[in-house]
Amino acid sequence: MLLSVKKLEKRFGKRTVLKGVDFSVDQGEVVVIIGPSGSGKTTLLRNLNFLENADAGTMNFKDRQIDLAHPKKDDVHFVRRHSAMVFQNYNLFKNKTAQENIAEGLIYGQGMDKRQALTIASDELKSLGLAAQANHYPSQLSGGQQQRIGIARATVLKPDVILFDEPTSALDPELVGTVLDDMRRLAQAGQTMVVVTHQMSFAKNVASRIVFFDDGQIVESGSPDQVFNHPREERTRQFLGALAENY
Amino acid sequence: MFDLNFAKEAFPQIVLAVPLTLLIAFIATLIGLVLAIGVVIAREKQVPVLAQFLATLVSFIRGTPILVQLYVVYYGLPQLLTSLQAAGWHVDPNGLPAIVIAFSAYGLNAMANLSESIRSAYHAVDPGQYEAAISVGMKPATAMVQIVVPQLIANLIPNFTNIFLDLIKDTALVYNIGLVEVMGKANIISSEGFKYLETYTDALIIYIVVCWVFAFVLRQFERHYRYAQVSH
Ligand SMILES: Nc1ncnc2c1ncn2[C@@H]1O[C@H](COP(=O)(O)OP(=O)(O)OP(=O)(O)O)[C@@H](O)[C@H]1O
Ligand SMILES: [Mg+2]
Repeated sequence: MLLSVKKLEKRFGKRTVLKGVDFSVDQGEVVVIIGPSGSGKTTLLRNLNFLENADAGTMNFKDRQIDLAHPKKDDVHFVRRHSAMVFQNYNLFKNKTAQENIAEGLIYGQGMDKRQALTIASDELKSLGLAAQANHYPSQLSGGQQQRIGIARATVLKPDVILFDEPTSALDPELVGTVLDDMRRLAQAGQTMVVVTHQMSFAKNVASRIVFFDDGQIVESGSPDQVFNHPREERTRQFLGALAENY
Repeated sequence: MFDLNFAKEAFPQIVLAVPLTLLIAFIATLIGLVLAIGVVIAREKQVPVLAQFLATLVSFIRGTPILVQLYVVYYGLPQLLTSLQAAGWHVDPNGLPAIVIAFSAYGLNAMANLSESIRSAYHAVDPGQYEAAISVGMKPATAMVQIVVPQLIANLIPNFTNIFLDLIKDTALVYNIGLVEVMGKANIISSEGFKYLETYTDALIIYIVVCWVFAFVLRQFERHYRYAQVSH
């Protein structure tokens, strides 16, 4: 097991948003998390990367065991160094060019030599067909380009796991495809991924496992075929039924 | 009639007072900047008691005329030093130079205005970028230095320019505590020659030129910073 959390709890004020979540990811898995708006999917991902402080729970990541409510600084840094996150709103560094955005984590997170990091970033841009945008700032890029760079910024770090939070939901429909293609390629290359998304075709075709999340808990988890075609839980059936009506 | 010759003769004498005006504005900005950074950190980290105290102090300073602040420091600082001396500190309340009073009063004023501007410049950098920076493995301090602060500075420059120019103009009040800067010099020359409009016109021109020069310099600086990150 690469990453697992047990009995993860998170409250915002009086409201319990994560109600004792047990969640795990194996090396090489692509786990897709689906579930209704406000159910806590984003909060779950943010807790995996310590962007939120959990109220209770434990994490096992690689060889480390971490008390989520009282994580050591060193453990937090360790997890962040070996994982990466792709955000719904891209969150590119606005004061850095596309190339610098990709290199930044290598230089300041991993201590790589600047020239080497910029070369890696430039190669990455070439392979994405974005070489012409290397010196563009985020404000000069389309949403789709920004998100592809956001993904490249994560992948060059060669993280053990990449966490995606609705990477295509801020995009115009015609730009969604390019981003999903990048993600599909990553999955085929064996990258371990956790993806929160409403893109059901991606979930069906790319996921190795689907997790249905509702009301701060994992309701059920299984292969795409099992969850989509033979859901065990009534709540899953309702959610999928509502989706089918809307799309 | 406007005595052009008098104005011409007075001009170089008044110009000689420009360095004092600039000195006060510069030192006050420097003091203000250092204090403001401390204030912003304390308030953003919500240090108990201190944060509330500083918030009150800042709104107090921003809500009162600088002339009143100047007088409060002028009369208050020596008394403060006297009580410190009584408490066993090695300070001398007597013969406090007026320039120190000016530095203190204008420095506090700059602190209040700068701290508010720095706070809003900081809030204008969306927190998602900081989160992205730490999620690619940067330490929090590195994320601040590499990502947040450069954008904060770019956001800050326009307000900083205004505050600095206001400070240059506000130093005109220090003649009230016996310092002879541009305005003080104009006052003296006027009353000696009984020609008022001439000298104050000189002062006006000097303030305009000085402010224009600094506005220009700071705009270049702003442009340099902006160019590095916003579409053009
Ligand atoms: N910082 C916060 N402070 C207070 N409440 C929060 C905060 N972040 C999230 N919440 C609440 O926690 C709940 C779960 O939010 P979360 O963003 O994790 O849901 P989600 O499943 O990602 O929803 P969506 O599909 O709309 O993105 C929501 O009710 C939200 O209002
Ligand atoms: Mg969400």
